[in-house]
Amino acid sequence: MQAIVAELRAVWQARALVRVLVRREVAARHAGTAAGVVWPYLQPLLTVAAYYLVFDVVFAMRLGAGAPTHAVGTFLVVGALPWMAFCDAVSRGMNSLIEAGSLLQKNALPPVLMVARAVLASMVIYGPLLLLVALAYAPLHRFNLAVLAFVPLLMLQLLLCLLLGYLLAILAAALRDTAQLVGFLLSVGIYLSPILFPLSLFPEAWRWVLWLNPMTAPVLGYQQVLLQGVLPPASVWLVGLLWLGGLALALNVVVARSRDQLVDWL
Amino acid sequence: MTHHANSPVHTVLKVQGLGKEYKLYASPRERLKALLTGNARHRSHWALRDVSFELQRGQCIGVIGDNGAGKSSLLKLLAGTLQPSTGRIERVGRVTAILELGAGFHPDFSGRDNLYFGGSLIGIDHAEMARLEPGIIEFCELGEALDRPVKTYSSGMAVRLAFALVTAVQPDVLIIDEALAVGDQHFQKKCIERIMAFRSNGCTILFCSHSPYHIRHLCDVALWLKGGQVAQFGATEPVLAAYDQHTRQRQLDEQALAGTGGANTNGQVALAAPPEPDAPVAAVDAGSACILSVDVKDLGEAQGERPAVLLSTDLVVTITARGRGNERPNIGFMIEQSKGVGITSLATHEDGAVPVQLDDGSWRSVLSFPDLPLHSGDYVISAFLFDETGLAVYDEWFQFLHFSFIFPKPLPGLVRLPHHWS
Repeated sequence: MQAIVAELRAVWQARALVRVLVRREVAARHAGTAAGVVWPYLQPLLTVAAYYLVFDVVFAMRLGAGAPTHAVGTFLVVGALPWMAFCDAVSRGMNSLIEAGSLLQKNALPPVLMVARAVLASMVIYGPLLLLVALAYAPLHRFNLAVLAFVPLLMLQLLLCLLLGYLLAILAAALRDTAQLVGFLLSVGIYLSPILFPLSLFPEAWRWVLWLNPMTAPVLGYQQVLLQGVLPPASVWLVGLLWLGGLALALNVVVARSRDQLVDWL
Repeated sequence: MTHHANSPVHTVLKVQGLGKEYKLYASPRERLKALLTGNARHRSHWALRDVSFELQRGQCIGVIGDNGAGKSSLLKLLAGTLQPSTGRIERVGRVTAILELGAGFHPDFSGRDNLYFGGSLIGIDHAEMARLEPGIIEFCELGEALDRPVKTYSSGMAVRLAFALVTAVQPDVLIIDEALAVGDQHFQKKCIERIMAFRSNGCTILFCSHSPYHIRHLCDVALWLKGGQVAQFGATEPVLAAYDQHTRQRQLDEQALAGTGGANTNGQVALAAPPEPDAPVAAVDAGSACILSVDVKDLGEAQGERPAVLLSTDLVVTITARGRGNERPNIGFMIEQSKGVGITSLATHEDGAVPVQLDDGSWRSVLSFPDLPLHSGDYVISAFLFDETGLAVYDEWFQFLHFSFIFPKPLPGLVRLPHHWS
């Protein structure tokens, strides 16, 4: 784990710079627009609002027995928003190194800062939105103490995005095809998760496939916490930690093997 | 030598056994395989191998070498943008690299905004930048443009801002790649003045140039890289002389290989596609061609700060240069006001003149201005050496000699134009 520790130290030592980088990354996304900082927040917010309007207000669709809630829109939002955050963070993290190629070739900066910038900037946008959803669901979870588990779930997701984003960024630097493949996986990944359908609707024999999606555990956790106001089961934490550990191990190897050549590949 | 006798000599840069290996994979797929499995076939290219040297505070080192000798890799390793494969680099204090100016500017943000952001990339925090900002604004002379988005800037403006930013704080080690072609000549002069000020304040400078003239005049020590290894490191003159011999030998070998021995017009001057004829480019490899001497006839002695006075009404300049092989070079000349505007520039290839070859093989042109049609004032001259086509600049003695000219009639003006009264 030496390589990862060194990377973490580099990020920590440059934390002031990371803050500047993140602030600028967020600002760059709406540079030149009239509405300014509202835009990055507005898009996911409108998508979520559309889910609610279409499924719960207009069509008033209902989920069957065994679902954590019966309103389809309400159910959808809890999984879809974290999934959007995940896709945004991972794809931006994956492209962060290639995009910052010329910057890294001309400035003496640790490459990991670029990944941290992309993923944290994504979190700065989606984090408050997720909190907003947690508050909006207050009538469902009645501010049960279990709702505090929302915070570690958010941390779990952030760490997942950082590790996966960095791993994919290095792989994409080595082989550009990575970005194409991952783009496809992110667009079909939502079907391999309990976001659109509750876990109980998946055929028993195929449920294991869901666990191949790193977001399955956090999404189940969010659903438990926000829809039912109960603590997520141990399996959520266990699988989440397994994913973190596995990604960290893989990242450690890849970082150590690519360290002295990474910038040459960009 | 700029360090003072009583200042303690201490090492600011120590390089030990530095090596940089580029792993060349047959395809990016092999690269991914290497990442995933840890073993894949690759060819090794060592851009640098076993380079060791030390630099003391206040020293100025020139890095020379053929193309592909590892100069750029060395500079990037020292600047920290590349990671070494072997060896160690110990740096003391602040290291500033002027490698490529303006990288990292965001076109949609204002110059000022980019200034603060660019500052944070090189370790200048917000508070310090607020302190430095007036000086930077003054130096880059952007004025009100500073609050416009960088995408509206000309390339010269962006480079000016970038140079002002990276040199806002005096570094302990300054790394400069290639000739400083920054903005117009006025700004170039400011840049050079700033670098010279750093140097006299004890900043260590490492710079990479193809101009032997600049290295000879600026550097205390020179490092000659050959095939990624140190061929020679030491006092400038002997290293330059050895390098000079090497390039001449290489030229001979190439001629022998070509089996001609005749005019070597293409030689190593890589000019695949000739650029605009009025924009001469620096020769990719200056080789051994250089200006040997520039003599001005009837020039008095300089009086302290005052430049020498021209004691004749004629200006006669004799420029002697060494060419490349049997190629007939061209010689250029420029005269400007010492503080002010350019007056004229001339070149043999533009005038249809040719330098004369002397017995020892060097070339000479004598340029005469009978009854020099200038008014009284201080002037500065530059000499240039071009290749046969006039596209590549082999050497330049830029603004190297100031002189005073006294026109006996007390009329104001700059140039006496051809005229007649009727």
